[in-house]
Amino acid sequence: MLETALDPSFWVAVLQIIAIDILLGGDNAIVIALACRRLPEQQRKQGIFWGVVGAIALRVILIFFALQLLAIPFLKIVGGLLLLWIGIKLLQPEEEDGHGNIEGSTHLIGAIRTIVIADAVMSLDNVIAVAAAAKGDLGLVIFGILVSIPIVVWGSKFVLKLMDRLPVVITFGGALLGWIAGDMFLGDASIKPHLEGQPGWLKYLSSSAGALLVVIVGTWLARRAAPPQPPVEVVASGAEGGKDHE
Amino acid sequence: MNEPRQEGRVKVLVPVDGSANSDRVIDQLLAELAGGTALELVLLNVQIPVDSGHARMFVSAEDVEAYHREEGLQALKSARDKLDAAGAKYRWHVAVGHIADTIIRFAREQGIDRIVMGTHGRTALTHLLLGSVASDVSRKADLPVTLIK
Repeated sequence: MLETALDPSFWVAVLQIIAIDILLGGDNAIVIALACRRLPEQQRKQGIFWGVVGAIALRVILIFFALQLLAIPFLKIVGGLLLLWIGIKLLQPEEEDGHGNIEGSTHLIGAIRTIVIADAVMSLDNVIAVAAAAKGDLGLVIFGILVSIPIVVWGSKFVLKLMDRLPVVITFGGALLGWIAGDMFLGDASIKPHLEGQPGWLKYLSSSAGALLVVIVGTWLARRAAPPQPPVEVVASGAEGGKDHE
Repeated sequence: MNEPRQEGRVKVLVPVDGSANSDRVIDQLLAELAGGTALELVLLNVQIPVDSGHARMFVSAEDVEAYHREEGLQALKSARDKLDAAGAKYRWHVAVGHIADTIIRFAREQGIDRIVMGTHGRTALTHLLLGSVASDVSRKADLPVTLIK
């Protein structure tokens, strides 16, 4: 136990997992709040509660499967490619017409269904990234899930604000995902045996290549997609007071 | 939406986030109005878009917009209550976008003469970690910005 606590690579993994949870976990809570918006007051609280419980339960189940799957040859390569894609996607600006058609349900069951489907999709990237960073260490995986809970429940506003104020955080997050992906490729069951006796810097080379790839491709795509600046989007306006007004 | 400017009035944009600091900004402006300065007040709350990641796949555009509107009205409430109580005349808007950038663009679009805002927002923690929106705005804006402590 003490040995693990003194191992720097353990703490690197811990920091990586916290960063992943912050970067990829922020929007869950907002979707939960949005899906429950049209419910009556009493049911809204129930909806939010069960939505959060569902989100966490799904994460546990998904991460269990992810850990099993990653041990199979070639699947770490697939996981690494997925991570590169998630990282590049993180760097893209919002899409204007990406909205789904699922209405905010007026029934509790409907709202919970929306939340669970959304959670499954939204947790997937987080789960793959955490599984990759933990490298099969179950303690780290559990730690990753525990850290993500308060972020799912309370942190979404903070995460949005963080990304708004410091856009460089997003670039850093993309680079981190690329770094983990590069490391993951070498850990694949089909590649690892060939690396016996290879120098240790190979790992860093692969990681750096992954990080660079995500940042370069992601930034390039984002530049290309950037639309000319539209007028400010105003969602509500009004004029009040003063006898001389109309 | 862009009302013709009234003669002799200074058009002031007041970015508001519902914090005690933005209440103090309103107090300051009310004092200026009481002192006879002709001001045309435009309140603005900016909501950060919830588009990060996948949120939009599961929620309709109308729901997201209604959410922004509600949150925005909530943030504007205390400033509006103060102005209403004083019988002041003002306009208000809720916009969506990157905060500092949206304040500056909105000021340009609306032909604003001056921006008046608080130096820090709602929580000490975000201020400590992220610095203030006010310093961003005052650095990037091409019109006078008054910061109220």
